[in-house]
Amino acid sequence: MTASALTRPGERDRLPVKIAQLDWRLAGLVAVIALVGAAMLWSVAGGSWEPWAGNHLTRFSVFFVMMMVLALVDLRWWYAMAYPVYGAGLLLLVAVELVGETRMGATRWLDLGFTSLQPSEIMKLGIVLALARWYHGASAQEARFHWKLIVPALMLALPVVLVAHQPDLGTSLLILFTGVAIMFVAGLSWKIVVAGIGSVLAIAPMMYFFVLHEYQRRRVDVLFNPEADPSGSGYHIAQAKIAIGSGGFLGKGFGLGSQSQLNFLPEKHTDFIFPTVAEEFGFIGAFLVLVVYGLIVAAALRIASVSHNHFGRLAAAGVTATFALYVLINGAMVMGLAPVVGVPMPLLSYGGTVMMTVMIGFGLVMAVKVHRYLELPKGPGLL
Amino acid sequence: MSSEPSIFFSDVNERQGSFLRRTFLLGGATVLGLAALSTRLGQLQIVQAREYSTLSSNNQFNFRLTPPPRGRIVDRNGVTLAGNRPSFRVLVVRDETRDLDETLDLLGRLLPDTLERRRSIIREVNAAPRFVPVPVKSDLSWEEFARVNVYAPELPGVMADMNEARFYPFGGAFAHVIGYVAKPNDRDIQAYRDRGEEIDPILYHPGFRVGRQGVERTFDEQLRGEPGGQRVEVDARGRVVGEDVGGSRPAVPGQDVVLTLDADIQNRALEVFGEEAGGAVVMDIRNGDVLAMVSAPSFDPNLFVSGVPSRIYRALADYERKPLLDKAIYGTFPPGSTFKMTTALALLDAGIDPSERVVCTGGYRYGNRTFRCWKAGGHGPQDMHNAIKNSCDTYFYHLCNRAGVDRIARVAESLGFGHTYEIGIAGQSAGIVPSTRWKREYTEATRWEDDPNWYPGETLSVAIGQGALAVNALQLAVMTSRLANGRKAIMPRLVKSVGGVERPSGAAVPDLPFSREHLDIVRNGMAAVANDVTGTAYRNSQLGLGDILMAGKTGTAQSRDYRAGESRGPRNAIWNRRDHALFVAFAPHDAPRYAVALIIQHAPVGGSADAAPRAREIMKVALLKDPDMRSRIERPLPPPPAAEATGEEPDNFGAASTPPAATQSAAPAQTAAPQPAAPSQEGPQ
Repeated sequence: MTASALTRPGERDRLPVKIAQLDWRLAGLVAVIALVGAAMLWSVAGGSWEPWAGNHLTRFSVFFVMMMVLALVDLRWWYAMAYPVYGAGLLLLVAVELVGETRMGATRWLDLGFTSLQPSEIMKLGIVLALARWYHGASAQEARFHWKLIVPALMLALPVVLVAHQPDLGTSLLILFTGVAIMFVAGLSWKIVVAGIGSVLAIAPMMYFFVLHEYQRRRVDVLFNPEADPSGSGYHIAQAKIAIGSGGFLGKGFGLGSQSQLNFLPEKHTDFIFPTVAEEFGFIGAFLVLVVYGLIVAAALRIASVSHNHFGRLAAAGVTATFALYVLINGAMVMGLAPVVGVPMPLLSYGGTVMMTVMIGFGLVMAVKVHRYLELPKGPGLL
Repeated sequence: MSSEPSIFFSDVNERQGSFLRRTFLLGGATVLGLAALSTRLGQLQIVQAREYSTLSSNNQFNFRLTPPPRGRIVDRNGVTLAGNRPSFRVLVVRDETRDLDETLDLLGRLLPDTLERRRSIIREVNAAPRFVPVPVKSDLSWEEFARVNVYAPELPGVMADMNEARFYPFGGAFAHVIGYVAKPNDRDIQAYRDRGEEIDPILYHPGFRVGRQGVERTFDEQLRGEPGGQRVEVDARGRVVGEDVGGSRPAVPGQDVVLTLDADIQNRALEVFGEEAGGAVVMDIRNGDVLAMVSAPSFDPNLFVSGVPSRIYRALADYERKPLLDKAIYGTFPPGSTFKMTTALALLDAGIDPSERVVCTGGYRYGNRTFRCWKAGGHGPQDMHNAIKNSCDTYFYHLCNRAGVDRIARVAESLGFGHTYEIGIAGQSAGIVPSTRWKREYTEATRWEDDPNWYPGETLSVAIGQGALAVNALQLAVMTSRLANGRKAIMPRLVKSVGGVERPSGAAVPDLPFSREHLDIVRNGMAAVANDVTGTAYRNSQLGLGDILMAGKTGTAQSRDYRAGESRGPRNAIWNRRDHALFVAFAPHDAPRYAVALIIQHAPVGGSADAAPRAREIMKVALLKDPDMRSRIERPLPPPPAAEATGEEPDNFGAASTPPAATQSAAPAQTAAPQPAAPSQEGPQ
């Protein structure tokens, strides 16, 4: 394929050309993490595909195909769907507020009859798409410092507040940080960035006392003094640290992690899967997993940087930021550096909802790569 | 970057440039974050790895104590007297039950009696830590155990397991000698504290028992063994998922204790008591081995192993015949006429000619009161041999003060009275051997009477085994053994070996301080009691074992003072007002091997009718168990071919052995005078 052929109008919309443009490197890295996850789930189930590892692989296969298909969807479709998805997510969040199903003290689910849905997951993508679209139409000056910034700020604030009210502090913070990251890469003035960081630092103690729920406060307390309550809230962190630390440099061996095999490690298949990796494969294994995550982030940001349209850049960066935040928050949480907020390790942890969100996100990132030369006009994105 | 011309608006380029710089920063921040995580990983996994490894194995492994199998207690032939038997129990772990009430409902259908104790079970289960198994029922039958196991899948949190429980196969026969084991109580734990030792954690193990009485208590340390440790792998709920064989230490079983007892003799000895209370001791006179030592009535020590119900304990404690009391070594009785051998030896020692005769007229007047012989009409002229044979009180009344109470006491002590013995059981009474010194000390110590002086009148009571004299069955057996042995001051031995180490024999002792001739006179008297047709126990002392004959002495001891003119009242009227019956014997009389001493507390009739036949039955078992004796019995006797009754022991104690009860009961060996025993105010004369 020559460059001249690709410059022919319409050539890039042909399916074989698009397929050739798929980012197999990113897809491969994602698959590596998912396969490591399946292996760990097999191990913590005592060497059994039941109940987690098999499901994990099946789901991943389905979502992998879905990611590839989404990667071929014209970026103009994504652009057009940005506000509708965001709007729908917002409506569902309001619906949850009104008629949501309460499980374990939190109202996060909408019962659709055949399945239950967490609108906050839709919102993770919705916020990326909506902000990317808004900034696509904004000038550099508007993105840096302008009264119009109230619009993206409100777009961000609404879902953050609604999700926090469920209460789901983890997801709420994730949406907030994702939005802030997009606003940052879109070119937000350094003055606002610095002022924002400063005010967060000032407000955080007040949040602790007046906004956080009792159980959330306890988690924060435990972070700073884990030995205070080793059998209660501190148990999770203490056991996770024991699992990681006892793995040592080379690990205890695959399937031989006593902490996870003997159930000392709670939620070993979901939020606390990473300590299992660290226990069974040691520092080497855990470090390599972090390196793969780093490579995924690098590959995705590379895609963001080669896009010719601003929507694509921001969407890819936004998805990457969400993904990186997942990894960093979960890693910090299981190693006792952050409070337990219920954020899983993406693709490694068992759980269909988060995997779907992440894989759709990567579908979007890959679509940005495939359509990186697309020129998107400003204004309503009609095809 | 792009191979194609893009839109060259400055604003668009500024947006792109800013985006690339910021994205680079975003990527850098992510890398920094990942680096921070890696640093933390390194800190935990490399720097603190050792510390967390320890914590991890503390999680993973538990060290569980396994109680050692308690040493067995066996008789001289290796018959198990105290062993361990498997016991099935059901335990409930609260943490693993879905719902305790529901689980107990189901369990109640399998084991109906748990329903009755449901309230206390719930209390116990709730009192224990969540994941600790609490026994709810022990000693399940095999059917119950199987049933619980079959339904195990439907009973989460219920498990059935097997442990070892102490078991006494002979029940009451050895209860007083062996004692029993029980759960450690607060006092056991306090004992460790008092000694300043660390409390052995095995004490808290639910299956562990400590010796409470008898041999179980004395040799508790040796029987106990050393607890083992089991390094088990547990999961987060404390459930055992595996065993670390390399890290486990097997329990060291306790040492076996071999007793000198013979289970057959012991069982027969308890059996012959029937309803009566009392004690009996059988000794091998050659080496002092105690072949039987029983106290009747007895109790089942198995009841005490898992905690005796207070209702049963009350019944045992309140019964007037006191089953819990050891009447062989703890209970003391006046020896009555069985003491007359002692007095006789003292008389010989004082130089009295055994052929010297005293005419018995049925009583003896000393001072201003009359001491009566048991035979109201009197025995006529009596030498020492006849005085023993007929148990003539008058003879001893008459001569005793020529020996003096201190000489009698000295002889009594060298025959074994007034001592406790190192036989490995606590709770022995020394009894009382009165002497002038004893009375002085006793009076001072207790203010029993005002006068600390001994008066010769008191010696008369002591001479016939009454007064303050108090002995136990073991001492009587020791006395009989020493008389029968004739040379050695035989010491009793109850524990043959502990953990294979032999204990010193009772024969390695000094000689008796009596001359052979004197001992022969006394022994011939005892032979005549049993074998002379006019002897007091002739009828009841015939063994029927060929030419093996028994020598013995009857005794009937007052258990209370009879006031002047007081009638004894109808016999059998009130149990605790009757006299005690005693009999001591050894056999064969020509080449002695075994000694038997038997006391019946508050016997219905007296020494010859109640005690002698029982002692004879016990003696027969002892003789028949001895291969030498058996061959002697079974050997056809050449000169008189009428060796009848070679065979087995006629198991007909009771009815058959006391056939003409009417004539028998008229001649009990009444010892004491019907007067107050020895009032000291009448003494000085």
